[in-house]
Amino acid sequence: MNAGYSVKVLLFGAAADRAGTRETQVHAGETTLDELWPILAEQYPDLSPMRDTLAFALNGEYARWDARVSPGDEVAVLPPVSGG
Amino acid sequence: MAIVEGPIDVGGLISAAQRPDCGAISTFVGTTRVDENNGASVEHLEYEAYKPMADRKLEEIGAEIEERWDVREVSIVHRIGRVEPGEASVAIVVASPRRGPAFEASRYAIERIKQVVPIWKREVWSDGYIWVGSQVGTRTFTR
Repeated sequence: MNAGYSVKVLLFGAAADRAGTRETQVHAGETTLDELWPILAEQYPDLSPMRDTLAFALNGEYARWDARVSPGDEVAVLPPVSGG
Repeated sequence: MAIVEGPIDVGGLISAAQRPDCGAISTFVGTTRVDENNGASVEHLEYEAYKPMADRKLEEIGAEIEERWDVREVSIVHRIGRVEPGEASVAIVVASPRRGPAFEASRYAIERIKQVVPIWKREVWSDGYIWVGSQVGTRTFTR
C-alpha cells in the first residue's frame, strides 16, 4: 500500500474492541468521512452496527460526516465518550 | 490539566490551589463504583483516552470556565488505565474568591468532561465486561 494515498484510522473503546485493532490504514484519495466509512466497515464488519452511535475526529478535532479527508490525515473513530 | 496513569494526589491538588485572593476551593472527585446485578459485580474499571485530543479538550474546558466565572485556579486530572473500586478516576479543583463560582465551575467541568473529552470506560465484571456508553461487551446480561 502506498502510504501517500492512505488515511490513518485510530479506533477507541468499543470500536477498537469490535474491530479487533486500534489502528489501521484505509486506502483512499481525497474523500469525506461519509465515503470512508463503508471502506472501513467492509474491512471490519463488526463495526457496522455501531455507525449511528459513532463520532469522528479529523486530525484530533471533532468532525462532521461531510468533512473532507485527504491522504495523510488522521481519522479517529470515537464511540460515545464515558469519562468521569 | 493532566491525564495520568497512576493514583491522583487529590490532597496535593487542593494544596496547590490555596491562595490568599480566594475564599473558596471546590473539589469534585469521581470514584469508581461497584455495581451489582444478576449475581455479578464490577471488579475494576479500565479507562482509555485519545490522549492528544483529550489533553486539548481538558484545556478547552479550563478556558471555558475562566471565561464564564471569576476563578483563579482550575485543575482537572483524569486517570486512565486500571482503576480499582473506590479509587479516584477524576479530580476537579477550582479556586475562586467566592463559593458560588467555585461550586458552579466544578459542576460544569465534570458535565463537560462527560460530554466532550475522548475518554472511555470499560467495566470489568465478574462475568464479563462492558464498554460504558456503547453497551458493547461480553456480558450476556446487561443493565
